Amino acid sequence: MKTYSNLTPEGTRDILFEQCRAQRKVQSRLSQVFSLRGYQEVMTPGLEYYDVFRLPGAAIPQQEMYKTTDNHGRLLVFRPDSTLPIARMAASRLQGRPKPLRLYYHQNVYRNRPDFSGRNDEAVQMGIELLGAGGLRADLEAITLAVSAMASCTQEFRLELGHARFSSALLNRLPLSSQQKEEIRATIEAKNYAALSELLDPLGDSPEVEAVKRLPRLFGGEEALEEAEAFCTDEETSQVLQYLKRLYGALRQLGLGEKLMVDLGLVQRNDYYTGIVFSAYVHNRGDAVLLGGRYDSLYGLFQCPMPAVGFGADLEALAALLPEEVKKQQVSLTVVHGEPGFEPEAQRLVSHLTDEGQMCEASLFDTLEEVKSYARAVKAEKLLAVGEEVREVEF
Amino acid sequence: MKPLRIALTKGRLEKATVELLERIGLDCSSLREKGRRLILPVGDGSLEAVLAKAPDVITYVEHGVCDLGVVGKDTIMEQGSRFFEILDLGFGRCGFALAVPKGVNFFEGYEGKTVASKYPNVSRRFFESRQMDVRIIKIEGSVELAPLLGLADGIVDIVETGATLKENGLEIAERISDISARLIVNSASMKLRKDEIEALAGSLEQAIREKV
Repeated sequence: MKTYSNLTPEGTRDILFEQCRAQRKVQSRLSQVFSLRGYQEVMTPGLEYYDVFRLPGAAIPQQEMYKTTDNHGRLLVFRPDSTLPIARMAASRLQGRPKPLRLYYHQNVYRNRPDFSGRNDEAVQMGIELLGAGGLRADLEAITLAVSAMASCTQEFRLELGHARFSSALLNRLPLSSQQKEEIRATIEAKNYAALSELLDPLGDSPEVEAVKRLPRLFGGEEALEEAEAFCTDEETSQVLQYLKRLYGALRQLGLGEKLMVDLGLVQRNDYYTGIVFSAYVHNRGDAVLLGGRYDSLYGLFQCPMPAVGFGADLEALAALLPEEVKKQQVSLTVVHGEPGFEPEAQRLVSHLTDEGQMCEASLFDTLEEVKSYARAVKAEKLLAVGEEVREVEF
Repeated sequence: MKPLRIALTKGRLEKATVELLERIGLDCSSLREKGRRLILPVGDGSLEAVLAKAPDVITYVEHGVCDLGVVGKDTIMEQGSRFFEILDLGFGRCGFALAVPKGVNFFEGYEGKTVASKYPNVSRRFFESRQMDVRIIKIEGSVELAPLLGLADGIVDIVETGATLKENGLEIAERISDISARLIVNSASMKLRKDEIEALAGSLEQAIREKV
């Protein structure tokens, strides 16, 4: 029988040395950023009931979840996302705490992706949840934090702002069935201008139709916000636009002007977004590395209605942004060899040196010749032999 | 600034794509005489091209190693899409259709049907939209053979003129969708290099409109 004893499952991989160091580095920088701003870390189980992720309006496609059963036959999934479990947790265990709640997490998520797509079924995510606060102050806080998190890894990134309600408000003004709306939503999402025109042409010419046609092109710098002004003839879209302008202005005051972009054609990437949505992009990465937004109706699904905003970043993508020298090990290594009969003394010297903060390995070889060749192979800085006295040995 | 990188589908769409790029004034001599190079400079150096099989064009664009791609809607429909599809290039026109042996009503009767196709995802989605349980068998080569051999009740395939169908005693039972070549863009590239990409797409669109 074929065995897989020496392989990792598709979509997973081992992470070694430099990559581990880079990920830990990013993790500690982000923890620092989050905790100094009053966010406290939480962990949720790796296994959750399937039902947590099947709530109306916040469902994750069932084929993307890794499933198993418990010993009562109940369906479990390997955590596919952190926002929903944290909502479950906060709704049940943190109800009585003063709001707002500031939480952060660092945990793996699992998604069952198609074969041969360069898939990453296991991803490490770090992010925040800001619960029980709505409005500009909270949105500004979440975005500023996202920017600080990105900036702790690289200065070369762009942050994109959008709003989940803008396109849906425009779409709702058109006389369409829900099926047609879904088709139109998909073409806007794909920025498929031609197909969108085709779908809208039967509706004739009206300012509403014109506005939806322009939607996929309403992205870029501040000019996109100006251009959108012309289409905001009803209260909801004008409110959304005014809000985005205020937020944009506030972020520009923070000196983020050149990093900011807007996309008003962002149709809801995820059903649970109800307000601002934002994402961070970096060069040489085909996808956003950080995604976030506001989901004010999500906690209602857990019988604990409160506003919420949050984001998650892909730790591996951020780790890849660190310069090479950060990933390399920079400390020098001393190897300590105890001659026969002096093994305890050698261990004592190792302890002494490590207590002083030096990196030090005890030799596990019987002869000095073997230690020398080992020290050469691992590019040690120094080799000490412990006998009646301690002497440095050339190698 | 790095040049924008575009992946072009080899074969059927290649010639029309090169002609279109030349119509907007880009020097494509490297594409016409490829030699052994795999990444080919186009125009004044602001664009470079790679040639790839259609499904690979999508893969390269999805992963962001190419900013743009030219690929048929057939491949997009079969492979799914996590990218922007911003322009219908107008060439490579044909369509997906369900074809069955002449005179047979595919939708009649309660027996489970079997369909052969090179495009199992397109077929599955089509029958799902009809709320029909249909067994789909993936065939790599000439699909017309499957009904002749008695393996399938019909086929889902690309139809251009319908001549091949006729020769094999098949006829179109239903057209599924129209197909043509599309310009696709990686979603991060679209955000980070908007001006360059929109300028290129704009001049391509103009060239297409002028020709028609």
